[in-house]
Amino acid sequence: MRRFLFPRLARTLPAAWGILSVIFLLSRALSSAPEGLTNIQGASIGGHAATPDQIRAAERLLRKRRGLDLPLFYITPAATATKQALAWRWHWHGTHNQYHTWLYSLLHGDLGRSFRDEQSVSMVVLRALASTLPLTCSAFVGIVIVSYWLTLLLARHRWLRPAVLAGLTVLHALPLFVVAFFLLLLLANPDVLALFPAYGLNRPESDTSWGEQLISSAYYLVLPLLSLVLVSLPSLVVQVDSALQHELKANYSLTARAKGLPERLVIRRHALRNALLPAISYVADLLPALVAGAIVVELIFAMPGMGRLLAEAAASRDFPVLLGAISVIVLARLLAQIVADWLQVWANPRIEAQA
Amino acid sequence: MKQPRPTELWAWWLAVAWLALVVLVALCADFLPLSYPAATPDLYAITQPPFAGPHWLGTDPLGRDVLAGLIFGARTACLVSAPAGLAAAVIGTILGSAAGYWGNQRLKLPAGLAFLLVGLLLFWGCFTGPGPWFLSWLVVVGLALVAAARLMRLSERVAPQPLPLDTIVLSLLALLTSVPQLVLALAIAAVWPPSLSTLVAVLTFTYWPVTAQLVRADMRRIRQLPYMEAARAIGLPTWQIMGRHAFPLLWKTIRVTLPLSLATLIGLETTVSFLGVGLPLETASWGRTLATARLDFTAWWLIVFPACAILLTTLALRQLPFYPFGKSS
Repeated sequence: MRRFLFPRLARTLPAAWGILSVIFLLSRALSSAPEGLTNIQGASIGGHAATPDQIRAAERLLRKRRGLDLPLFYITPAATATKQALAWRWHWHGTHNQYHTWLYSLLHGDLGRSFRDEQSVSMVVLRALASTLPLTCSAFVGIVIVSYWLTLLLARHRWLRPAVLAGLTVLHALPLFVVAFFLLLLLANPDVLALFPAYGLNRPESDTSWGEQLISSAYYLVLPLLSLVLVSLPSLVVQVDSALQHELKANYSLTARAKGLPERLVIRRHALRNALLPAISYVADLLPALVAGAIVVELIFAMPGMGRLLAEAAASRDFPVLLGAISVIVLARLLAQIVADWLQVWANPRIEAQA
Repeated sequence: MKQPRPTELWAWWLAVAWLALVVLVALCADFLPLSYPAATPDLYAITQPPFAGPHWLGTDPLGRDVLAGLIFGARTACLVSAPAGLAAAVIGTILGSAAGYWGNQRLKLPAGLAFLLVGLLLFWGCFTGPGPWFLSWLVVVGLALVAAARLMRLSERVAPQPLPLDTIVLSLLALLTSVPQLVLALAIAAVWPPSLSTLVAVLTFTYWPVTAQLVRADMRRIRQLPYMEAARAIGLPTWQIMGRHAFPLLWKTIRVTLPLSLATLIGLETTVSFLGVGLPLETASWGRTLATARLDFTAWWLIVFPACAILLTTLALRQLPFYPFGKSS
């Protein structure tokens, strides 16, 4: 276990730290004017417009509260006036800087506070995760089950192949939000078929039973789930299908057929197990991709969650929330990669023998 | 050479014709005789259904003409995806082939170069660092003299150091692929003020790892081939080996991936504009037109027409590598 885990952590953790640092430094270095000051400048409460001095004082207070008055990094260039001209010089600030403070609190599990409403980012992210995880997890399970079933169907009934593969190609060419819109247009439209609600989540009422609540919230989740499944399906099915076709032509499949096994068993017991090996790494990439897909789906169907949090934080330049959400996604990706590596070694012990 | 099947021919020519139409429309969007100008709201015809003049494809809830929006959206799609795709292909090819060709051990830098770099860095650091500058100036001059004296002998004694190029490129790739592309594009686009060139830069930055990974793997395979060994054995210069002997083989991979990456980039661009990040508000885009459908779901023309434009362009770009005649197939 130790020989397995540590090299992988040593490889992936620096990458995660690096990308988070890059996004942090970029966001802090390029956002000079803090958000929220425009409100102060425009505000004139009771006919009193703020004087420039008051605005400057308010800005200083806001910067101090957010920790933006500290220098950005350990060494920063600063302009100093010499006798001839203005010159750039490097200054050493020690550990009293924004980057160090951020990294220190990140390692202690503190993600900071939102620029917009001063809420704790960890709380905001946890709340968003609680409403996103049911969606992404059920989408994940749905994708795996449907693609397994569809691949078997394609292998058994060969006459279906051209039509289904063409449909998958068309589906693969569409971005997620277009698919979601088409679903809305067809299934939540009073002019065509008003089967499902167009947006929102079920609000739980206290007097209904637990089972009814589950059913009604599932009813609201159908369209978002369907769009996520439809978009992720083509690449997985096409990949597993081509691997399966390759395995079915291999000699051991011929042997299995020759000894009189029915085609059903040849596919399931012999060919499919080998065909699933390359799909493992793809499935591991699916979970972070689903979180990214949730950005679009949650925005279209007006649901609270991780993706909506990301999109709104990006649109309103709320950098602590943006960074917090990205850290969670990076963490999910890291875990998924390690689990995928472990699964691959478990499914195919030859890999470890080579390494 | 095998004879191409008629359906392949048809599909390929259809794809080329559609792409030519998109590019042509994008080029002369300003001169086309539109029945209604773009980006000017017609407040008498809000959310008007299509197939009636002057708005032949209808209007959105803000009264803007859908046909004009699609035509100028084609220009945006071309202006964003083509430069981003080309730049990503160039960066990916250069870094990927360098990493694949030299690996970790084979690019040897003479030690003198490293000393020179360190000396220059020290020189620059003393000049811009804190402290009275004349003192550091003296220190630098002294250091430079010592370094110059040492350089002659050190570079003879110390063996050339290999540059771990492969590790550097691989860690860059790991860095950029540790976040999903859409999330990375969203985060970086949020930092910069929205503009067309920013979006191109962001998409290039997030997309070059895809090409780099493919080219690196391909270069590692090509490097082992006997004719490359022969080229090295007769002592050809490296640029000639790379450019004249390895690149024609690499070009096969790049030629196939370029249209596919353009298709992906068009999808990314429309998604990012749909989310309202990256492009300035007044720029027309297929994603923007689709986003207006959120105001009114029953307006099917706001969904169907831009979606068809995206679908046909993506399918055409995917059909493009299946070149049905000539030596490639």
